[in-house]
Amino acid sequence: MTNHAQPLQETHWAFQPKAIAVAGSILGLVAFWSALPPFTVRSPLVPVLIGVLAIAAGLWAVTRGTRRLGWGAIASGVIGLGLGLLATRSSSGNLHVVFAADLVAQVFVFATPLTFGALGGMVSERSGVVNVGLEGMMLMGAFWGVYGADKGGTWVVGILAALAGGGLFALLHAYWSIHLRANQIVSGMAINFLALGVTGYFFEQLYGNQNIPSGVSTVPNVAIPGIDHMAYLGPAIGDLNLLIWVGVAFVPLSYFILFKTPIGLRVRACGEHPRAADTVGINVYAVRYAAVVVSGMLAALGGAFLSIGFGGGSFTENMTEGRGFIALAAMIFGNWRPFGAWGAALLFGFSTALAYRLPVYSSSAATLFQVLPYVLTLIAVAGVIGRSVPPAADGQPYVKQ
Amino acid sequence: MSEQATPSANVPPEQEPSTDFVVRLGVAQRAGGLVVPVLTAVLAFLAGGIVVAATGHNPLTAYRGIWDGAGFNWIFHIPWNTNTVNLDAFNLSQTLLTTTTLILVGLAVAFPFRCGLFNIGGQGQYLVGLIVANWVGVSFASWPTLPHVLLGIGAAAFAGAAWAGIAGFLKATTGAHEVISTIMLNWIAIWGGQYLFGQGGPLQNTYNTAAPESGTVVQSAHIPVFWGNPVLQGLDYGIFVAIAALVVFWLILNRTTLGYEVRAVGFNPEAAAYGGINVRRKYIQAMAISGAFAGLAGALDMLGYLFQFGVLDVQASQIGFLGIAVALLGRNTAVGTGIAAFLFGGLLYGTTRGLNPSVFDPSLAGNLTSMIQGLIVLFVGADVFVLYIWNSRRKLRPRRRAEAAAA
Amino acid sequence: MADESGSVLELQGITKRYPGIVADDRVDFDLRRGEVHALLGENGAGKSTLMNILYGLTKPDEGEILVGGKHVSFSSAKDAIESGIGMVHQHFMLIPVMTVAENIVLGVEPVRDGVLLDERGAEERVRELSQQFGLAVDPTALVSSITVGQQQRVEILKALYRGAEILILDEPTAVLTPQEAGELFAIVRSLQADGKSIIFITHKLNEVLEIADRITVLRRGKRIDTVSRQGATEEGLARMMVGREVLLRVDKAPASPTDVALEVKDLQVVDERNLEKVRGVSFTVRRGEIVAIAGVDGNGQTELVEAITGLRRIASGTVAVRGREFEGHFTPRMMIDAGIGHIPEDRHRRGLVLEFNLAENIALHDYDRPPDSKRGWLYPARLVQRAARLIKEFDIRGGGPLTLARALSGGNQQKVVVAREVARNPVALIAAQPTRGLDVGAIEYVHRRLVAERDAGRAILLVSLELDEVLSLADRILVMYEGRIVGEHAAGAGEEEIGLEMLGGRKEAA
Repeated sequence: MTNHAQPLQETHWAFQPKAIAVAGSILGLVAFWSALPPFTVRSPLVPVLIGVLAIAAGLWAVTRGTRRLGWGAIASGVIGLGLGLLATRSSSGNLHVVFAADLVAQVFVFATPLTFGALGGMVSERSGVVNVGLEGMMLMGAFWGVYGADKGGTWVVGILAALAGGGLFALLHAYWSIHLRANQIVSGMAINFLALGVTGYFFEQLYGNQNIPSGVSTVPNVAIPGIDHMAYLGPAIGDLNLLIWVGVAFVPLSYFILFKTPIGLRVRACGEHPRAADTVGINVYAVRYAAVVVSGMLAALGGAFLSIGFGGGSFTENMTEGRGFIALAAMIFGNWRPFGAWGAALLFGFSTALAYRLPVYSSSAATLFQVLPYVLTLIAVAGVIGRSVPPAADGQPYVKQ
Repeated sequence: MSEQATPSANVPPEQEPSTDFVVRLGVAQRAGGLVVPVLTAVLAFLAGGIVVAATGHNPLTAYRGIWDGAGFNWIFHIPWNTNTVNLDAFNLSQTLLTTTTLILVGLAVAFPFRCGLFNIGGQGQYLVGLIVANWVGVSFASWPTLPHVLLGIGAAAFAGAAWAGIAGFLKATTGAHEVISTIMLNWIAIWGGQYLFGQGGPLQNTYNTAAPESGTVVQSAHIPVFWGNPVLQGLDYGIFVAIAALVVFWLILNRTTLGYEVRAVGFNPEAAAYGGINVRRKYIQAMAISGAFAGLAGALDMLGYLFQFGVLDVQASQIGFLGIAVALLGRNTAVGTGIAAFLFGGLLYGTTRGLNPSVFDPSLAGNLTSMIQGLIVLFVGADVFVLYIWNSRRKLRPRRRAEAAAA
Repeated sequence: MADESGSVLELQGITKRYPGIVADDRVDFDLRRGEVHALLGENGAGKSTLMNILYGLTKPDEGEILVGGKHVSFSSAKDAIESGIGMVHQHFMLIPVMTVAENIVLGVEPVRDGVLLDERGAEERVRELSQQFGLAVDPTALVSSITVGQQQRVEILKALYRGAEILILDEPTAVLTPQEAGELFAIVRSLQADGKSIIFITHKLNEVLEIADRITVLRRGKRIDTVSRQGATEEGLARMMVGREVLLRVDKAPASPTDVALEVKDLQVVDERNLEKVRGVSFTVRRGEIVAIAGVDGNGQTELVEAITGLRRIASGTVAVRGREFEGHFTPRMMIDAGIGHIPEDRHRRGLVLEFNLAENIALHDYDRPPDSKRGWLYPARLVQRAARLIKEFDIRGGGPLTLARALSGGNQQKVVVAREVARNPVALIAAQPTRGLDVGAIEYVHRRLVAERDAGRAILLVSLELDEVLSLADRILVMYEGRIVGEHAAGAGEEEIGLEMLGGRKEAA
């Protein structure tokens, strides 16, 4: 084992390339923000100047050896400059359509499936099983959730059915990854295809060409007394779906389980060094099975939110439309940590929510915001803005001796 | 070995369970094993049939309908009627049209696989090729057919190569996992396509601005049809391009130094680097070649029979993902990919437009295809499982004999 | 536990078969309370398999395990731990990103408030234990930040924390400096004084005679004998281990070095974390001599070899082959072309593409030039022809040109590597741990071949962790410690002196 590197000479922290690069990244964001409320700068000069400053800071850092962070600042500057320019060119009147109080509510709506999915992916990958099958497990949750709510008469049955559906496919993925030692990416992709086929087939089989009948029991909203009638906060968070709050609650919960309990320690041990865990008597297979199944159930909750939560009791083929993959991206972007993943889910939710409002004045900007999660994740895995480091044994099947 | 693989002292190295999928595939390829892919397909169809039966349909009727829908029965109608007014001949020509695409998107997965890379970005690369081919096909209206088609194909292949090359470049320079980056690039391409063809998008058609659709490829950029009626969507010469791509794939891998390098990197990048191979460059090259195959697929589709693409088509398109199943079932070889593409081509067409709705509901059948696709990928991923089934079948006899001898 | 004189542990007729090999063949073994019982054998003798069986990691095909006189059957490490058995693995089973305390309590975590991990309590108990047994280590430190010697102590603490009465130490000195090994022996003695029983696995004769009360020798999965330390000699044990007299010295004529083939000047190399691994190394190797670099593992030898062969970027300095100087960024390709042959330290990881056949493996450096290929076109038949010739010339057994490298035995795989490197007629041959993991016959072959290549006028740079190998092969010996050459010796220098330099006067609080 080697010791951690120490900087050779001491410089004041503010002048270290790292700090400059971080400042550059923030400046890039400011470049964009300057054109949005509350500042609403109309002169294109402002975002351009700030953006160029960010790029300069990035270049400075790059030339001084802080490559990843430096490139991050450059990227942030370019994106901020571009978006800022776009925003200044639109009329400020439109901006109010884009930035209203219920945007917050919408961010939560878009972020919730991502939160569930990202937390699910994190649980699985922390135990050492890569889960690119989140999309499929989510889709299973969406369909069986609405089916359960329809036939069972209550959304509770729907949630249980969703958990069972997602959990079942997760079990399949677990068996393939853990016992058969299949390539976990192949297995995950198979889960996605299979879920697409199974949900589509049964949707057609069970509902024919009709839609889900209206009036299916759905997960209720939670009106928070005192807040629901307040200005701004009311429309923002006063009356959100129960599953949204469950998702929010799962963030600290998963943090405590993962980092503050013996169970979490064992899960992480399996993801970092399964043989070490095995030699102290931890059943690596059992831990991984449990983690993957929990992962599938969490993803399924995200799917159920789409169909019987916010979705109001509906289903369409391929309903998840790639949200499982954004969840995966959020998990990576959040560096396999609960709050990180949540933060990324909120950021991506914000980006999507914005994209749905932006066509009002610019379809190109809307597209930009649709792709922003993917671009950011691409940048994150490339290690440009702080490297995303997966658990050491992530994706590696464990072979008992 | 799962971590810090240290050859355990008393187990000879060849006894170590090799868990690396790429390596295992390689070993199976060397062994020339036909068993796993064939058994995989059989198992997948069997499982699909069980679902069909369980939901109250006759699986034999369903599969028969798909078989006929794919036009496969044409083969048994001797003397062959090549007039595609004949329904079977028409269906077969359509199956081959789909096969063309699948061969290329399959190669787009197979080639990087031999370099140890898993390209999930075939769909995105295909879309990029499609978009560029559409742009070329709509523009340059005054050009004669041959250069126009060649330009479209070339530009699309190049664009696909560049798109996939991003993932290769990131892998080579920063170590970003290609699975993640190609997934991200897929979605960027999907949203990009929706923007370009969408309302007010740069590539939206000029004659019906209410429709979020691309312009129509001009006649001079159409790849000529050689079987069937061009008006009824006949089979174009693109299939020969795909078959040529299979040959090129084989030649590159087995008869060029690039192929040697790609395979060396795929099996053991460290040994390859030690041998003097620039591993990073191979990652970029393998991804670029892969993207060229996928981009080519997009071009042949656009210039061969689609001619136009809309926002909804971008959202619905899944064919690039099928390349994963094709390549895996084909064991990442040229011949295997060709056969698997034909199988999936038939399945895809035979469960949708080719299927007689009175025999089996196409909306069910289309999903059956997704299921079979998933099952095939699943079973290929667990070749150990499939081999186990095969071996336990074979082991039964000797064991019985041994028991008999012992008794 | 059994009475003082009786056995705390007995293995009876343990047999374990792997496809094509019997790892352990009816092995008997017993351990008395408070004794250190060494398990001696070559690589592949069946020691590790036996201990994995004892620790519940592997199931035996036949045989009985008795702990404290009672029959037991272990299906996992957990069962073994519950029977009071602890194991310190050769490759530490520690999680670098977790703390010492977390590593120690993993699996038997103290809990507070019903569900939460009691980190404070864990640290406290680790501190108590480490004081009780004199195993100094900071419970709050990350494992990635402590030394190898300390990591080993963490492993021992892990076993003690679980109440181990029987400790298995699997090749515990392999990763230690001689001084750290000395500290370990002190720890072992103090554990012994506390009544713990210890199984000490090793293949080093001198260690056995220093620490063990009794010695069991395994050879090819069979127990040869169990002897008491009194009266045991190195020669006698060696005979039992290998079944014949060991060639301790390689027959070779005195070197007659000629012109300089390889010259390294002020070489500096940093690793991925920007840590200096090679700090200003300079030396020359002449044609017709073997220069050996001795040193404990991890003192920059790997990085040095990787730098010279172009596999790792150098920070500064130059490498000259036959007077042609390289500096800055140079690639493996350039060094191969300049005339460097390289037998890498890990033939599976780097030396061979195991899924390539022998013909393809032998072409690894030449595939891109005539006659193997022309303008990018490869001619597989020519690869096969050459391979067939070399297989005969180098006596590679177990397959032909189209056999996969994976299918060969370790010794024959190494012959393939040697054949490839030598056949290219390099000016300088760099052999990094060329006999690692090989059986005695293959080791002899490699040694003879290296001497023959020296006599044929090549410059040989040998990097080895085995001091015996260095002493028996080298014409000149360089000692490497913490990235520097700290000593140079002529052939025949004293083992003591070199051994001391390998430690570099490094001191560490016990």
